[in-house]
Amino acid sequence: MPHLVDAFRLARWIAGSRADAEDIVQEASMRAFKNIRGFSGGNPRAWVLTIVRNTSYSWLTQNRPKVLVLSEDLDQRTRETIEQEDPQTPETALIAKLDAQQVRKAMASLPVPFREVLVLREIHDLDYRTIAEVAALPIGTVMSRLARARSMLAAAILAGPL
Amino acid sequence: MTRSPQDEFLLNAYLDGELDPIDATHFEERLGADATLSARVEALRALRVALRSDLAEDVPSPEFRRRIMSKVSPVPRVNRNSWLALAASFLVGAVLAGATTFGALNYRAGDDVAAEIVSAHIRALMAPQPIDVASSDHHTVKPWFNGKLAFAPTVVDLGAQDFPLVGGRIDVVKGVPVASLVYSHGKHLISLTEMSDTGGEPEPLERHLEQGYLALSWSEAGVTYWAVSDAASNELENFVALFRAATAGP
Repeated sequence: MPHLVDAFRLARWIAGSRADAEDIVQEASMRAFKNIRGFSGGNPRAWVLTIVRNTSYSWLTQNRPKVLVLSEDLDQRTRETIEQEDPQTPETALIAKLDAQQVRKAMASLPVPFREVLVLREIHDLDYRTIAEVAALPIGTVMSRLARARSMLAAAILAGPL
Repeated sequence: MTRSPQDEFLLNAYLDGELDPIDATHFEERLGADATLSARVEALRALRVALRSDLAEDVPSPEFRRRIMSKVSPVPRVNRNSWLALAASFLVGAVLAGATTFGALNYRAGDDVAAEIVSAHIRALMAPQPIDVASSDHHTVKPWFNGKLAFAPTVVDLGAQDFPLVGGRIDVVKGVPVASLVYSHGKHLISLTEMSDTGGEPEPLERHLEQGYLALSWSEAGVTYWAVSDAASNELENFVALFRAATAGP
């Protein structure tokens, strides 16, 4: 399957573990293979990632229901939290604490809908329009989730041990 | 200077290269005048670099890659990056087969079993996987048929002769479930269907041309065998000869 590494990385960060990602990617590969005729041109990478993303969600609903948090209230909270945020975030302290282990731990602590857009943006290097397509979100929501995801990630890294 | 949520979105969009040139220029002017804002941009840039380098380590294991490839591609280890092309070729094959159906039906009118065998083979190629059990180990494939069929099919390993076993599936011919083994040869798949015909006479090799596919049939020891493939006819004959040699008694 082309884009297997992309597929694996997305599933790994939506699901939270390599083992679950393997199950998801396997199922997604079957779906992609079966629905190959549904691919009507366009961006094949986005097509594969969309299938992986949807498979991840249905797989998690079935096997790890607790991982999923309803995303509706999250978007409302996004706005509120950013408004309340301390403007004096210690930026230099954040940079000092950026090491691999911290980053991974902080990523794991983000709710799935935020982790997902961040992974699509930073790991897959997709633009907002493609993220909106893959995650089935309006572009405005992609933008606000990304902003919120980064704030949450920074806060989680800062809260970790030095 | 405090930041509004709008600033935060703007800052992120700027960082992601999503601002149009005019907005980006305005934002850069603000950055030059606002140390807090530019520190924030620097922090988020550092966060990005960390994310990209730390998370890029996540790659699927080679073992997992192999497993996926053997599932989605009916021909393991061959052409593993081109299953799209492979799937497309199946579709083309099905269309071609459909186009030749009319002539083939006239040519072999009455040869119902051949038609069903070839249809099962074509249908298997069009399915997500041509097999119900995937294994190159005949000790895995043979027991899989236990309890699914009234007889135990003969499964031989011809991997050394360049006809590796891919797996097996159940087909239904004349309303009766039968065993089909799938072997690969280069890019071609061979379905070998075995049907019990207790008491039937041994029959020599017969050639059938059905929907553009060559099928070879023979009977021995109460079992009728059908081999069908889009491989070249001498390759299919070679396969049948090897299979019969491997199943012949000592």
